[in-house]
Amino acid sequence: MAAADRGDSKASEGLFAVLYKELHGLARRELARQGGGVSLSVTTLLHEAYLDMAGRSADMFPDRARFMGYAAKVMRGLIIDHARSQHAQKRGGHFEITSLKTDAGNAADSRELERISDALDHLARLEPELAEIVDLRFFCGFSSEEIAAMRGTTERTVQRKWEKARAYLYRELRTEIVT
Amino acid sequence: MSSLSPEQWQKISPHLEQGLTLYGEERARWLQELRAKDAELASQVQALLDDQAEAMRAGFLEKRPATEALTSAAVAGETIGAYRLLSQIGQGGMGMVWLAERSDGRFQRKAAVKFLSLGLAGKAAEERFRREGAIVGRLSHPHIAELLDAGVTAEGRPYLVLEYVDGEPIHRYCDEHKLDVSERCRLFLDVLSAVAHAHSSLIVHRDIKPSNVFVSRGGQVKLLDFGIAKLLEGEGSDGSATRLTHEAGSALTPEFAAPEQITGSAVTTATDVYALGVLLYLLFSGQHPAGPGPHSAAALVKAIVETEARRVSEVAETSSAAEAGRVAGGRATSPEKLRRELQGDLDTIVAKALKKDPKERYASVGELADDIRRYLSSEPIRALPDTFAYRARKFVRRNRLAVALASVALLAVIAGAAGTLLQARTARKQRDAAIRERDRANRVVRFMTDLFKVSDPSQSSSRNVSALELLDKAAKDIASGLSKDPELQAQMMEVMGTAYTNLGDHKQSEAVLRRAIEISRDSAGPTAPETMILKDYLGSALAQEGKFAEAEALQREVLDQQSRSLGPEHPDTLETLGDLASTLGMAGKFQEAERLGREAVDKDRRVFGPEDHHTIAAMDDLAATLGEQGRFADSVELEKQTIEIERRVYGPDHLGVLMATGNEADSLYLMGRFNEAQQLWEQELEITLRVLGPNHQETARATYNLGCLAAIGGRRDQAFTYLNRAIEALSPIRIPDIKGDPAFESIRTDPRFAALVRRAAQRGAGEAKCPL
Repeated sequence: MAAADRGDSKASEGLFAVLYKELHGLARRELARQGGGVSLSVTTLLHEAYLDMAGRSADMFPDRARFMGYAAKVMRGLIIDHARSQHAQKRGGHFEITSLKTDAGNAADSRELERISDALDHLARLEPELAEIVDLRFFCGFSSEEIAAMRGTTERTVQRKWEKARAYLYRELRTEIVT
Repeated sequence: MSSLSPEQWQKISPHLEQGLTLYGEERARWLQELRAKDAELASQVQALLDDQAEAMRAGFLEKRPATEALTSAAVAGETIGAYRLLSQIGQGGMGMVWLAERSDGRFQRKAAVKFLSLGLAGKAAEERFRREGAIVGRLSHPHIAELLDAGVTAEGRPYLVLEYVDGEPIHRYCDEHKLDVSERCRLFLDVLSAVAHAHSSLIVHRDIKPSNVFVSRGGQVKLLDFGIAKLLEGEGSDGSATRLTHEAGSALTPEFAAPEQITGSAVTTATDVYALGVLLYLLFSGQHPAGPGPHSAAALVKAIVETEARRVSEVAETSSAAEAGRVAGGRATSPEKLRRELQGDLDTIVAKALKKDPKERYASVGELADDIRRYLSSEPIRALPDTFAYRARKFVRRNRLAVALASVALLAVIAGAAGTLLQARTARKQRDAAIRERDRANRVVRFMTDLFKVSDPSQSSSRNVSALELLDKAAKDIASGLSKDPELQAQMMEVMGTAYTNLGDHKQSEAVLRRAIEISRDSAGPTAPETMILKDYLGSALAQEGKFAEAEALQREVLDQQSRSLGPEHPDTLETLGDLASTLGMAGKFQEAERLGREAVDKDRRVFGPEDHHTIAAMDDLAATLGEQGRFADSVELEKQTIEIERRVYGPDHLGVLMATGNEADSLYLMGRFNEAQQLWEQELEITLRVLGPNHQETARATYNLGCLAAIGGRRDQAFTYLNRAIEALSPIRIPDIKGDPAFESIRTDPRFAALVRRAAQRGAGEAKCPL
């Protein structure tokens, strides 16, 4: 993780892979436990993932905040993969006689999510802290209060950074639409 | 407007953050100041603050993306081994099931991936799971859904990749296609062939139920989950069941569990026979044997372990007219017709499969299939309506069956059988000159000797030559070589018939005897004594084949004819009387068998004398009949008398003594008097080893039985020594069903047991159980 922090991209990738697997596993176990088809609280999932991984490799994740940051980013990936696959399934191979409205709506959702994600990646290069907060709040559903507790800061600060990120993202997305 | 560069952002960021803390007038003033210092920066910050305000108004990023199906998303698209998961298709007791396709695109074939909601304890367990998976994967049969892969995911969850069957459970398929009873039977035969195949690979299903028996859209039966139970079976290092086994055990479907699965006794192939019986019951009647549901767990357990199921033909009586009509309609018939169709053979077949005691069920899936086939072709079935069928097979009428020998001893057997026959003939045909008989006896012996001379010497000296092969050759030679002397030809065929019977090939025996009857009818006449006695023998052969009704009718006819033409106490008449008693005993008509048996003993005593071999044979038969009725004490008593006379008359080493001793020991064994049984078998073994040698069937049999007792007594080493030796020496037609025998409970888990079972399976597929 230290290496990942220093920007070592290999280490970062490795960590991402580990987390990705972990979250997959958690989701699956949780699904089986609940009998399938039941939606899961992503928050719960991340907490569990942390407890699981912290227990196994304490040196890999020095603190929970940084773990959450990474995990949230992974979770974003999962959600976007899902949105993409949903979209693909709707279109894949079959005759399209479904109502245009729903279809377009879904497609827009998934495209917008992808755009947000791209913008977030960009933002992460400018100010990683902001991207992380968006991952935690938007993709993982943590409240400002929870995020503040996680990061040892005030709710006000989190809120301010969130608004800052929101401004940036809104600008980026608007830009993209215009161009 | 383009994306901001890091440099631009670095400059903007602190100002933007500050601006966000200010509102209204304050912010405007602050921006004014900033513009004075850096106009470009101020306008960038201003634009972002406007964006933020607009984002807030629009509720941008307020609504979180939908995550309902997120967990599925976390799995869909995932790759398991060589398969990519597509969508969840089921959720069962054992875990969830996913439709998947090969991720390398090599095959188009779809697969079902089953995740087991069980934790595997440790690397060793994972390793074993994979290994066992590979074994089960080798199970290949057109009616078994193939297990393509078994493994453990990175998260430690065991999974199975199975052939995907696009179809529906068998009972639903049958109802939807309105299959009638015969069509259902035929479909069920495919199920049985699949189960039999797995059993021959020593794999027991343990969880046969409609949802595991699918019929594809093409009408092909496919059994799912074969070997899964075995896969989950395992032992901890201390020999105790692992958590996995425990969990898997509780995942059983109680509705289709056999009594022994509920009571925790040994699970064997008989367990599958039971579940197949439940399935058959359901297919025939639309109902579970425990009656119409729903059942509480306790009621179900009680029904399975204690209550005898209602006859399948009577199910309709308990349901409403509408329900009965619906069920019959699904079988393309009316309730009344359905009842009549199920009554009789099908009632008997289902009841036998559903016996509480595994030993009383069909000894193999093959036997069950055989009876269903017999039903379909309107032949009499083998299962007996509610009798001691198992015991009836147990008590061999040893005197009549004599002994099956290894091929080296065949000459002695045939010559011996010929001798006995001729002896009987002598008594019967007192008018015939004794000298002529003796000539004939000599010719018989010469013929037999020639038979061995002409056979390939390298083969005849080898113990691998089967007695049956030699008999087949003899039958041919008799047909061609003795055609000039039809009377002798018929007699020799009679000898052959007896020999075939001794070797257990009753079909051949029947064929030869029928031919002998034809010849005798032409040469001596249809009611001639020699024709009649041949018909009596044919009756005995038919009884051995399980054709009891035909056998009984034939022997009654012969008895009637003989009583009239020869007199009620003629030796031939008495022989038929004894044979008829024996047939009735086999057919389960014990009361009449006993009555006729006693009559035969009484008359034999009077006609032949109390110590004649006829009398002794009849006593031995009667003792067997008593044993079959479960009257072991009476049986033992009579057998003791028989043995006593035989000792005196024939001497202690005579075969007859040995056989009666064996029968008595069987009774004692079945009474649970193991110590006494052991003593007798030890005596028997001592004599057979000395008189008959180590390779004789009787030696092997006594050895095997002592092995059973050693296993029961927990003397493992001794048990394996005995059993291994016996398996080598037993004739292939007498190989017992070791795997399914409850007597071996205590040695089942011993690694030597599997090896023993394998060796037995290589030698032949038998069904007899302890005692042999």
